[in-house]
Amino acid sequence: MMASLSHILSPDFLLRNSVYTSVLIGFSCPLVGVFLVMRRLVFMGVALPQVSSTGVAIALSVPLWLGVKLSGHPSESAHMLAFIGSMTFSLLAILALAFMERRGRGQPEGRLGTAYVVAASLSILVLSKNPYGELGWLDMLKGEVITISDFDLVLTAATLTLVLATLGLFHKELLLISFDRPMAITLRKNVVFWDVLLYLLIGLTVSMAVLSVGPLIAFGFLLIPALAAHLFARNMRQFTMLASLCGGASAFLGFWIAYQYDLPVGPTDVVLLGVLYAAAWFIAKLLP
Amino acid sequence: MNDALIILENLSIGYNGQPVLSGISLSIARDSFTAILGANGSGKSTLIKTLLGLLSPLAGRIDTNQSSTGAPLVFGYVPQAGQFDPIYLLTGFEVALMGTYGRVRPGHFIPSAERAFTRECLRAAGAQEFAREQFSELSGGQKQRVLIARALATRPDVLVLDEPTAGVDAEATHTVLEFISRTRMERQIAVLLVTHDFAAIRHHARQILWLHHGKVLQGAPDELLTPERMAEIFEIGIS
Repeated sequence: MMASLSHILSPDFLLRNSVYTSVLIGFSCPLVGVFLVMRRLVFMGVALPQVSSTGVAIALSVPLWLGVKLSGHPSESAHMLAFIGSMTFSLLAILALAFMERRGRGQPEGRLGTAYVVAASLSILVLSKNPYGELGWLDMLKGEVITISDFDLVLTAATLTLVLATLGLFHKELLLISFDRPMAITLRKNVVFWDVLLYLLIGLTVSMAVLSVGPLIAFGFLLIPALAAHLFARNMRQFTMLASLCGGASAFLGFWIAYQYDLPVGPTDVVLLGVLYAAAWFIAKLLP
Repeated sequence: MNDALIILENLSIGYNGQPVLSGISLSIARDSFTAILGANGSGKSTLIKTLLGLLSPLAGRIDTNQSSTGAPLVFGYVPQAGQFDPIYLLTGFEVALMGTYGRVRPGHFIPSAERAFTRECLRAAGAQEFAREQFSELSGGQKQRVLIARALATRPDVLVLDEPTAGVDAEATHTVLEFISRTRMERQIAVLLVTHDFAAIRHHARQILWLHHGKVLQGAPDELLTPERMAEIFEIGIS
């Protein structure tokens, strides 16, 4: 077990980009996940990664539909195309769902459930007619965190740094519009601008997470660390820090376990998060 | 006009194009204490939400004067305490501190002077003892005090309170209303207060707005809250 740990930590480790990306996603996703949990948008955390992955499938199919040839393996241009598709679909979905939420008609769970199932089916349909689907793109959608290039890592790190910096810089505004929107309006805050900014940050993070680790794992990292941290935190700073630490540590631990026992990384991470959440729930129940 | 902070002219308010109240014409003076009374669904909350800019008027206009400093009018809003989601891990102090956010630019830290002013507001509202406790774990009365402190932290020209004594016992109601009256006089701000409790409010309010059957009746408490006038409003006889 310790030998595999020293392998992972070695600078020459072949899959080092996968370790770094997993841990980056693990630290970052819970930071926007905290807002999804506080705004009672947990189901959006399920639907959004799936919609985002549909965006990847469609974006990667566009060259095929237009008759433009792409290289067999996901290249940098393919990755950029996937990023654009993922980002576009994430943002359109989050803005549409938020708009319907604001109008307050219908059932939010019904809308999110429909978005999830339609997006999942659309991904399968698109990829079933795409010969490139078998050449790595399905792996990308499933979250096989083993083929991460330097370019992918840099793009992920840069995007997540931008998200974290924006979240940190405008935390008080984002917290105010989430906690008490009427108060924000009376203070003459542009609530639509801050809402859109928050959705943009959520969309960016989800897009990066889906591209790097897939929709299932993205959902796991978005919500489970935040839900576990809420059981112990006493203030917002603790809540955010604990959630982020829980996500980052689980990502690293999950990679280590997966490497040691030759398991797929993404599902190992999610199962580990589930076990940690269950343990946290029992411990919280035992505490006075 | 000089003494009027807010003037409503032939205002019609409601939701989705359906008016709840129509033909409202009145003014709110500086340093005034106005109580808004009426049955459930009479439009009390709709009226204050429209005044605060949370709802657009269906017709008519709202003219607001400038504050004494020449800046746009600042509203200190005290919503009902029960409407906040307990999932937010905020202390009473952190909630009250939000009152200063209107003066702190986005991306800037809150200056220590604003933090000190928030503590002063909490002290004035009698909320300093529980300011470090979780807001979600406070009692209804304690939350109201924190929310009043938050509204004071905005340095308001108009304090707007939505049923601040709902679910609060008679003694606490008396204390809260006394505090609001005293604050109005000390800080020379206008107070708009929504309540069902006309027995308690009659000793504090200078003007009553009684919302009834889609209309606004207005007058001084001594004129409007007499048994005869109330019977007339309710269209019942007096034995």
